[in-house]
Amino acid sequence: MNLKQTKLQGQGQFQDSMPERVSVTAIFWTFFRVGLFTLGGGLAMLPVMRHEIVLKQKWLDNSDFHSMVSLATAIPGAIAVNTAYLLGRRLGGKQGLAAAVLGTILPSYIVILLVVWILSPFFKYPKVAAFLRGCSIAVAGQLAFAGLIFGRRSLGKWQHIIGFIIGLTLIGILKIHPIWGIISVSIFGFFFFPYKES
Amino acid sequence: MKNLIELIVSFMIIGIGAYGGMATIPLIQQEIVNSRKWLSIKEMGEILAIAQMTPGPIAINSATFTGFKVSGIIGSTLATIAVILPSLLILTFFTPFIMDRFENNHYFIRFSCGIQVGVTSLIIFAVYSYGCGVIKGWFDLAIALIAFFLLVLSEKKLHPILVIVTCGILGLIFY
Repeated sequence: MNLKQTKLQGQGQFQDSMPERVSVTAIFWTFFRVGLFTLGGGLAMLPVMRHEIVLKQKWLDNSDFHSMVSLATAIPGAIAVNTAYLLGRRLGGKQGLAAAVLGTILPSYIVILLVVWILSPFFKYPKVAAFLRGCSIAVAGQLAFAGLIFGRRSLGKWQHIIGFIIGLTLIGILKIHPIWGIISVSIFGFFFFPYKES
Repeated sequence: MKNLIELIVSFMIIGIGAYGGMATIPLIQQEIVNSRKWLSIKEMGEILAIAQMTPGPIAINSATFTGFKVSGIIGSTLATIAVILPSLLILTFFTPFIMDRFENNHYFIRFSCGIQVGVTSLIIFAVYSYGCGVIKGWFDLAIALIAFFLLVLSEKKLHPILVIVTCGILGLIFY
């Protein structure tokens, strides 16, 4: 019913009307499970969410799912939470989105609390400290890799490179708050980046 | 009380700028380490390492952790809510307007293209500022480079956690 309706009306664009509702507890546990068993943040979570929601539970079709994910990535905030919000709302209205968001954040909240309570006293042991130090330096390498990926994706034209240099100057040299740096570059981009009608 | 309000404000700011996990790192460094001084850069590095090895987005993991350091369970609950609040508000108020064919809306595309570029500058800046914070010698630099090249050479085939754990084990052996 749900899938047929979407295909008839939308061709991939999702409408705001409610399809058949999925039970709130089912939504909660699905997102909880996805949240608990995916390591490594939002982007790692998306394929697992797709597997659960599109392939296994068949609550949504693929193009609806992708449409929501691209909106979730375009909006500030953790991608996993944004995706959970949109999917939850689509599946079960206000209660659905509350269940989905809670289900997504609770696993990490609980796990971190357990880490703080149980494991953090061990952080000062030399062996543990050495391990964590190695890990935290690896994060620097990971950042550089993320910079490479982002740069390759977003710096296609010379105007983009000027925007990039403006951002780097504002944030790195003039020490403006990073948020203002991003906003400034996006305003610059709004006026000066080439845009082609597609 | 003042602490709790500062905690909420800081994590709301982090929540606004959290475009993907890596862009969150410089914001956490700015707000939590440089400006409020709740954590040292070493502690921040530990949180990031743990955040990468535990479920959930970096923003949420670090909110729960920092909140706990600042004022226990209340702090961690408030910080966790604060970090997701901006996106929940934006989604609640704006999705009805941009939901419809937003992907083809050219204002939206222009802005998001600029945001992408801004986030790139932020991440490159973060490589420098976070790198200066945690890398203390040639050996540290070598570990960071190993992590970087493992990720580049394996191009998404190697799970980031494996890279982090590999570097952790190198640390365990050589530090």
